[in-house]
Amino acid sequence: MSTFTPTPTAAPAPVLGYFAGIGTVFGLEIRQRLRNRGWYIMLGIWFVVVAAVVGLAALSAAEGEFGPGQVMFELVIAFVLFFGMLIAPALSANSVTGDRANGTLAVLQNTLLTPGQLLWGKWLASWAASLGFLVVTIPLIAWAMTYGDVYLPAVPVMLGMLALQLAVVCALGVGVSALANRTLFAVMVTYLLVAMLGIGTLIAYGLSMQLVRTEVQVSNQVWPEEYVSENSYVEWDENNYTCEARTYPQETFATDRITWLLAANPFVVVADAVPRAPVAEDPAMISGIGPMGGISTGVRYSQAGPAYQVACLNGVKNTELPPAPDPLWPLGLGIQALLAGGILAAGRNRLKTPAGKLASGTRIA
Amino acid sequence: MNTVISDPGGTPGQQKESDTGIIAQGLARSFGTVQAVQSIDFRAAPGEVTALIGPNGSGKTTLLLMLASLLRPDAGTIRIQGLDPAGDPRAVRALLGWMPDTLSVWESLSSREILTTVAALYGIGKTQARMRAAELLEVVNLGQLADTPARVLSRGQAQRLSLARALINDPAVLLLDEPAGGLDPGARVQLRTLLRQLADSGKTVVISSHVLVELDEMADAAVFLSKGRTVRSQRLAEVSPQGRGYTISSLDLDALRRGLEANSLDASYEPNMENTGGLAKVKLPGEMQAAALLGLLVGAGVPITAFAPSSGLLEETYLSLEDEMP
Repeated sequence: MSTFTPTPTAAPAPVLGYFAGIGTVFGLEIRQRLRNRGWYIMLGIWFVVVAAVVGLAALSAAEGEFGPGQVMFELVIAFVLFFGMLIAPALSANSVTGDRANGTLAVLQNTLLTPGQLLWGKWLASWAASLGFLVVTIPLIAWAMTYGDVYLPAVPVMLGMLALQLAVVCALGVGVSALANRTLFAVMVTYLLVAMLGIGTLIAYGLSMQLVRTEVQVSNQVWPEEYVSENSYVEWDENNYTCEARTYPQETFATDRITWLLAANPFVVVADAVPRAPVAEDPAMISGIGPMGGISTGVRYSQAGPAYQVACLNGVKNTELPPAPDPLWPLGLGIQALLAGGILAAGRNRLKTPAGKLASGTRIA
Repeated sequence: MNTVISDPGGTPGQQKESDTGIIAQGLARSFGTVQAVQSIDFRAAPGEVTALIGPNGSGKTTLLLMLASLLRPDAGTIRIQGLDPAGDPRAVRALLGWMPDTLSVWESLSSREILTTVAALYGIGKTQARMRAAELLEVVNLGQLADTPARVLSRGQAQRLSLARALINDPAVLLLDEPAGGLDPGARVQLRTLLRQLADSGKTVVISSHVLVELDEMADAAVFLSKGRTVRSQRLAEVSPQGRGYTISSLDLDALRRGLEANSLDASYEPNMENTGGLAKVKLPGEMQAAALLGLLVGAGVPITAFAPSSGLLEETYLSLEDEMP
């Protein structure tokens, strides 16, 4: 503090470009994250765990002959999605509360930065940090692809949707963080929101079954004789049956009316958006179905409803595959975007200064 | 010790008084049921250091937060260089430098990075920001630590960094909340000089502190707060009407007593235990009278060893206000 030159070298222009502000906040956040050793340790542990799971899948798949690549690939995706749901809240939900506790939030608010710029920057930075976890699994995805049976058009879509799901979780985390006073609380609420999407949708779906109970007329399936006799080696064909004429009522569930409840589930969004491999003509070429393919198939049957779930409906043999239903993922992504957008908007309101009402116990600086 | 600061370089604010400095009227703000600020009128003129004085919980920080456009007053108006922080916060922030009483640093960033980042948030270009940061790091004596993470800075160093941060946009109005708390004596003197220079260059400087002696030496005006109210605003050049207390030490307390009684002055006496000496406390109406009394006592052969105001000017007012308070 020896000498001070009253003539300033900087005559600040009182304008801060919208994107320049976002970029500066992004840089500030990323720099702090990159210098945090915990992040690297987490990435390391993450890689080891995913590699172990994929390696085991490769081992067990190598024994059966048909393509382990697709299973491995989908396994990696499912894993990254599952653990991403666990890691992204932790990465994003401290972004504003941390600054609040540190006293640096008020410093940012006292510059030309707007609350919107602050949230955009923090969201993009936490998203980039969680994408790091996707990036380190690239070698494992490449390994899966060396088996040659991965349906290639599915790869970019799956990765893209996965990245979008991480973006949604990070947006929830940053929004909650802007609303909360304490990091622990923000992380917890974000976990609950993610659990609501991941598990809550399943519970809602399961409980709603009772509401869509219906009765349909079914009849028994009649299988060819040789299937019944014990000492024969005939190839099993699940469509080789006839229906009895006598029908009786059976309870079933009109799942086509409640499948939308599953739409916002992150796994459903990713699985549903991915293009399906065309049915291979040579059965030997059929690639395995991984967890994502399984979810996708399940959702489509649920969307199709009882007409395709009952083998003998109204005394008629019902072997048709359900038609390709309307995609469910736009609805899911829309619900997620509304939720995240709503929370971010509330958070932005909370960050507006001069601050009006404050929650009790809040200290601005 | 020169406790009364003369007006530096004439009275600034010649343009239009309402368009410069800070004018706040009738401010009130509560947090839930706690009425942190009840009725504060505050004025700070450019070219002056205005001290904000009050006990803990008197509303100093709340007032500074309102002035810094971070907190909305429940009632009252604020004008910073003629602008309303509630109506146009961004325009006000461009003019404002605020140093909070907390150590607000990003721990993993270096001092230089913190300054350039904040500069960028004021829309200052990269090269300019780098120059400005380097210059301010020298001003606050952090040149050596410019590139180490802020985590390792001591409290005083972090405070100096915070001051540099508040100055990064070359603000016309500077709000400092307890800036001297963790500073060593040398840094305090430097801070004083720096703030004096900033004020002399035409900036409005507001500083809150409870180290009153320090404020004595740099403030031009003082605003006293108590329980969320402005209890007094005064210029330090004004002589307080009740006079000041002086402490006079002598080697011979009896001679001192005779000397004071000869001048018909009431005083309280405290003899030393080990010798005949002691000290007397006396109230004098002004510096002229003090100088005259000293001359008389020395002339009368009283062995004086010390003759000084008992306490700082602001402390005097502060304590007298506490007496007045219910």
